[in-house]
Amino acid sequence: MNTPDVQGVADQAQVVGRYKVIPLIQEGAGESFNTAVAESDVQESLGLPGTLVDDWHDKAIARLGQLLKERRGLRVFMDTCTKCGACTDKCHYFLGTHDPNNMPVARQDLIRSVYRRYFTWAGRWFPWLVGARKLDKNLLQQWYTYFHQCSECRRCTVFCPKGIDTSEVTMAGREVLASVGLGQQYSQEIITKVKSVGNNLGMKPRALADVLENLEEDILDETGIPVRLPLDEEGADMLVVTPSADFFAEPHVDGLIGYAKVLHQAGIHWTFSSEASEAANFGLFTGQHDHMREIALRIRHAAMGLGVNRIVIGECGHAWRVAYSFLDSLVGPMQFLSKEHPRAEHICEVTHQLLQQGIIQLDPTRNEGVIVTYHDSCNVARGSGMGNVANGQLTIPRELLKASVPGFVEMSKDTVGQTTFCCGGGGGLLTDDLMDIRIKGSLPRAQALQAVVNSDQVTHLVAICAICKTQLSSVLPHHNLVDVRVTSLHHLVGDALVLT
Amino acid sequence: MFDTLLGVSFTLLALWAVLGTLYRIVTWVRTPSPLPIPLTPAPRTRLGVVGRLCLEIFLFRALARANTVTWVASILFHYGLLFILIMHMRFFFAYLPGWLIPFVVWSGWAVAAAVVGLCILLLRRIIVDRVRYISSPSDYLHLVLLLCIVLSGYALKRHWPVNTSTVGEFLRGALSFQWQPLPDGAVLVIHLVFVLLLFFVFPISKLLHGVGIVFTPTLNQRENVSVSVATKKGEHSS
Ligand code: SF4
Ligand code: SF4
Repeated sequence: MNTPDVQGVADQAQVVGRYKVIPLIQEGAGESFNTAVAESDVQESLGLPGTLVDDWHDKAIARLGQLLKERRGLRVFMDTCTKCGACTDKCHYFLGTHDPNNMPVARQDLIRSVYRRYFTWAGRWFPWLVGARKLDKNLLQQWYTYFHQCSECRRCTVFCPKGIDTSEVTMAGREVLASVGLGQQYSQEIITKVKSVGNNLGMKPRALADVLENLEEDILDETGIPVRLPLDEEGADMLVVTPSADFFAEPHVDGLIGYAKVLHQAGIHWTFSSEASEAANFGLFTGQHDHMREIALRIRHAAMGLGVNRIVIGECGHAWRVAYSFLDSLVGPMQFLSKEHPRAEHICEVTHQLLQQGIIQLDPTRNEGVIVTYHDSCNVARGSGMGNVANGQLTIPRELLKASVPGFVEMSKDTVGQTTFCCGGGGGLLTDDLMDIRIKGSLPRAQALQAVVNSDQVTHLVAICAICKTQLSSVLPHHNLVDVRVTSLHHLVGDALVLT
Repeated sequence: MFDTLLGVSFTLLALWAVLGTLYRIVTWVRTPSPLPIPLTPAPRTRLGVVGRLCLEIFLFRALARANTVTWVASILFHYGLLFILIMHMRFFFAYLPGWLIPFVVWSGWAVAAAVVGLCILLLRRIIVDRVRYISSPSDYLHLVLLLCIVLSGYALKRHWPVNTSTVGEFLRGALSFQWQPLPDGAVLVIHLVFVLLLFFVFPISKLLHGVGIVFTPTLNQRENVSVSVATKKGEHSS
């Protein structure tokens, strides 16, 4: 993750009000917010054309046709939308920008209109009747703009009576764009880094080892207890794969220290891996399944190399979706893992289990004065599960928090749980050049947060996603929410932990 | 001559609607679903999936969460139409069976429900700026077509009653390739032509959405089912 330069962005402070006010549409309102197109060397290193190819029109249509044959979701979604309008006021980017193209159905229509024109009988012969359009430069530009104003959060899917998943359409759109030379610099560059070095930051193993060593010293100074942060230890029982932001960014790193304390207290022999020093998988964001597979394979490879019995994923939203829902499909079943832990586990479920078994103790009085509210990350809430219990992804983090702090408050019901609002920075949008859209997209979350700050004096906003944490800590000040601390769940767990 | 033309068109378009729908289903099913993308929390059992789909198909659960006005209008219209459709089964029996009598007696209410529902949906499409923005001519025309069918049918029932047994013979004839004459009446012909138009657009338009839901991966896939198991059963191929 990068650390956005908050000062460098014009002050976009918005009046924080009630998100339930549905805005009138304002055509073109989000048009000017664009993210940089990938440099040619980045594109080429991924085997994609460096600049917009001459026959982009034919290539794009051909690629779209191919995706329609390869992805059932996309195909069904193209056919079943009735334009009922139920989703039109459910996207945070629409609520924040008022741009009608940010209404989920309108975003899908950017592709659906082309699908109808080139792949359906009615659209070919009666384009004016069914809203079919030729793909021209103008529309291609709109694809680029509005498929990068979608965080692939799937909130719209919850409200769509046909279960249409706009994120699948966005991914297809980005995939086609990249295949004709219009990848996004931010995501594509990260994919090249994770492929060549092992993590999104391009942090070399030596540097990583130094960071971990320093952190061990910090913990020792603070607690007097030699808590370890091992790297590449063969024979360890557990491999922890975490988003690389956890190694240095605030407030992520305090969460990392929390994992280490919990695992230390439980006496688990665990390790990080320098080969798989990144849980994030931007192949999900760009819709490129081959990249997603390649990135996921590193985890399998590292786990086999180290001979571990368990794989645990740190606090990262989309990484958890990939690990929970896709890992088997991407890299095959991991028979080398132990029978008790046959699939990747989330650090929260590990901690939760240790707590339930009485192996660790949490003392909420150690977090005196802390009143938290919990932001469900979209990929956790709507894209995965946790702990083999129904709704575990919603209940387990809350139970951990309630055991760790004296005060816990929920935000308004339709902004949490399955209907949670995205932080506004997911899906490959966490880049400085999209700062305006990130601020606007975080409006509903900020409004819901403001309400509990007013009513219950909430002091901390907790998330279990590296993107959410970076995004929220950089945008909340723009909504005049300066006193709320964005915090890692395992930071509070680590502080409450009875460490011996 | 004209009767035979209508009869043959009915046969052909009914076939077109059924085969067209099957063709779409085959296209959907034959497209692989490389990654499981259920919207979670999702059911973990097949029975759970059936339950989820039933809630969506019969109660429009997601719509109920999203927008009350649209939900009420959709329920009125869909159930009104379903009621009317069941009433039409009378044409397939030589004598009116007892269980169909309530459907025939109360069909006026069903018409009212369907018309009110359709009008709200149409008005919403025209008035709400967000919905207007996403609407193409065909979206309005689908609603207008359904209104025309329901209203012309109601006119037949109330003002230009036709001999139901002759209509029955015509319909049964058209579906068994033994075409029979239709009773005289312009309104009946108009009603029938609207229905034929519906048959025509059904498999090539969004009207297929009811069938499509069943094949929607976000709703029909289970959570946390290891793919090694699923692939064996042909659920996700990668
Ligand atoms: S809710 Fe679903 S069906 Fe309705 S307009 Fe949105 S995408 Fe289309
Ligand atoms: S997936 Fe999320 S960001 Fe994208 S259109 Fe739907 S609600 Fe908006």
